[in-house]
Amino acid sequence: MITVKDLHKSYNDLHLFKGISLNIKKGEVVAFIGPSGSGKSTFLRCINGLEYFQKGEVVVDGIELHSINRIDPTKEDLEAIRKIRLKVGMVFQQFNLFPHMTVLENIIEAPVRVLGIDKNTASENALALLRRINLENKVNCHPEDLSGGEQQRVAIVRALAMKPEVMLFDEPTSSLDPEMVGEVLSVIKDLVDEGMTTLIVTHLMHFAREISDRVVVFDKGDIIETGLPDEIFTNPKIGRTKLFLSRVLNK
Amino acid sequence: MFKKIFNKVIFILSLFFIVNLSSNASFCAEISPLDKIKERGSIMWGADAEGGAPYIFPDPKDPEKFIGFEVDLAEAIARELGVKAKHVQNAWDSLIPALERGDCDIAMNGIEITPQRKEHILFSRPYYVYVEQLVVRKEETAIKGIDDLKGKKVGTLSGTVAQNILEGMGGVDVKIYPGQVEPYEDLAIGRIDGVLLDLPIAAYYGKPNPKLKYAGNPMGEGLYGIAIRKEDENLKNKIDEIIDKLLRTGELKKIYEKWDLWNAAQEKLFENIQGERGYVDLEKSKSAPVYTFFPYLIKGAGVTILISVTSMALAIILGLFLTLLRLYGRKPFNNLAVAYIEIYRGTPLLIQLFILYYGLPNIGISMSPFLAAFIGLGMNYAAYEAELYRAGIMAVPKGQMEAGLSLGMSQGLTVQRIILPQAFRIALPGITNDFIALFKDSSLVSIIAMVELTKTYNILAASTLRFFELGLITAVLYFGMSYPLSLLARRLENKLKRKK
Repeated sequence: MITVKDLHKSYNDLHLFKGISLNIKKGEVVAFIGPSGSGKSTFLRCINGLEYFQKGEVVVDGIELHSINRIDPTKEDLEAIRKIRLKVGMVFQQFNLFPHMTVLENIIEAPVRVLGIDKNTASENALALLRRINLENKVNCHPEDLSGGEQQRVAIVRALAMKPEVMLFDEPTSSLDPEMVGEVLSVIKDLVDEGMTTLIVTHLMHFAREISDRVVVFDKGDIIETGLPDEIFTNPKIGRTKLFLSRVLNK
Repeated sequence: MFKKIFNKVIFILSLFFIVNLSSNASFCAEISPLDKIKERGSIMWGADAEGGAPYIFPDPKDPEKFIGFEVDLAEAIARELGVKAKHVQNAWDSLIPALERGDCDIAMNGIEITPQRKEHILFSRPYYVYVEQLVVRKEETAIKGIDDLKGKKVGTLSGTVAQNILEGMGGVDVKIYPGQVEPYEDLAIGRIDGVLLDLPIAAYYGKPNPKLKYAGNPMGEGLYGIAIRKEDENLKNKIDEIIDKLLRTGELKKIYEKWDLWNAAQEKLFENIQGERGYVDLEKSKSAPVYTFFPYLIKGAGVTILISVTSMALAIILGLFLTLLRLYGRKPFNNLAVAYIEIYRGTPLLIQLFILYYGLPNIGISMSPFLAAFIGLGMNYAAYEAELYRAGIMAVPKGQMEAGLSLGMSQGLTVQRIILPQAFRIALPGITNDFIALFKDSSLVSIIAMVELTKTYNILAASTLRFFELGLITAVLYFGMSYPLSLLARRLENKLKRKK
């Protein structure tokens, strides 16, 4: 489903990725863990073209995204990014709901404007999705009237309204108060149970272990270890993984 | 009409963007001026109604109407041509440029026939013989005539024969004024020692002032002529014929008698005036009830509103275009937008208006005062609006753009649907502020012959000398227009805030 080959990325002088590769199968759930600044989020953002990279290749469901020069991307690059974004939904740490729109307007904006679905159909779909997360009574609220957990659930539903084949979660619970983490995780879990191909960057180790088929450990811009969750968490092979896990799990 | 203006706007805009100012554009068709006047049904004559008594000034009974001996003369000429006379307002020192650029068919406003002027324009045969009269303060004893002026401060108008006389004498401290009211005001309160100007001016503004008196006899005879474009020879011949006829029939004499301006010994005639023959003097203008000026002032206020609203609309749209070009445009267009913004913010609006109105005709592009005011103000404020929008866009969190993009929306759609509505809310207080500023800056367009509220005030105050009360009324009118605007904007802001 997703293939990343020999990815190189640098910011000015800082060389972050020096050629990393990863394959993800359809329906697979992959958790990305590792210290802050190790490149997990950037890796995710390279997949849907929010970050440019200097060298390498990203293939999503047969669509090839070559290294993109952000200053002057070619037409093919832009077209590939657009197609990939239609297949890949993304949920951000900061929710990024549109503050000037109601919950309903947030959800139907892209289906109506991008996919050309008529407004009534899109609204019905949106309501069905909201019902699934028990927020149908908030349909006409503005984001500022919602709690953090509610906002993030709406953000997830907003991405789902585009019927993506892959979902990217970039630290979806990091901005939430602890009592709201659970409701967001349960929505993600439902999604995974339905078979959605899911890539999730998270600091919640127990959740990563419980939900994923595979864990990818990042450190200093490199993938240092991948493996089954039980293997990684009980018997990591690499010293740096061990060090990282001991730090976070003993906290 | 609108389409025509619109086309012109598009033309001018594209001109500025392309920067390549080619000079073969011309909006004037080549027909004889006399035919043009007849076809139009009116002769357009340029004159400055500001401080124009007794030449041309607002009737205190009906300030929307202009009166004066030149108004009478213009009407007589028009009648002889079988058309109507239409006055075109212009500042006195730009009358000749205005004539040359084709804003009017003739200029007649006490323009002295001088060799320098004759190099640029034609003059009709003289229609009035003027003399220069020195005026001093009543208690003045040292200055008995023009020969006593050495070392004194003497006021006069810029570009007049009196100025040449004073400067030719040497040793006189000549103070140049833009209008004919101010020198007498300054003389009365002692800022200068004397005023030398044409007798009709001295008779209207100097003589009735109890603090002032004439010093010595009139001197320096000269001639007023009607200014006509060099190429309009046949118009000049026709007007000469008409003046000739008016002289022979005695009509010209009647006009001057009505205004007490007839004959070489004009000064004596000024003594027993009082309006038997419809003559209006300064006292009458001064004592007219203030409400008589209202309709004229309100008309000016209407023009102010029209200019402000239309040019703000242009600024808002053009500013948005500039911002989008600057932030999302490709090279070199984004740099072009930056250059536009910096140049327009870094040069005075006054200069921009001058170039637009008086400068562009040099390269064959001439536009009406309203169009120049609309484009001048609009293009200037567009630069400020662009910066406001940019600040607004910058203040929208980066995640908003990323959220839009990750949903498969294009950059353009995200800007339109997600970024701009939020940026607009942030920029709104600034935009309101600019609108009020533009509203007041619109008074600047009076320099390009646009008679809006400020210019109306100047014209009325100059002929009545009621600077104070008319000034207060004008200020109240401005405030009465801008304050509701502030209230409206505040309500809009609150409404948007609640919606967010």
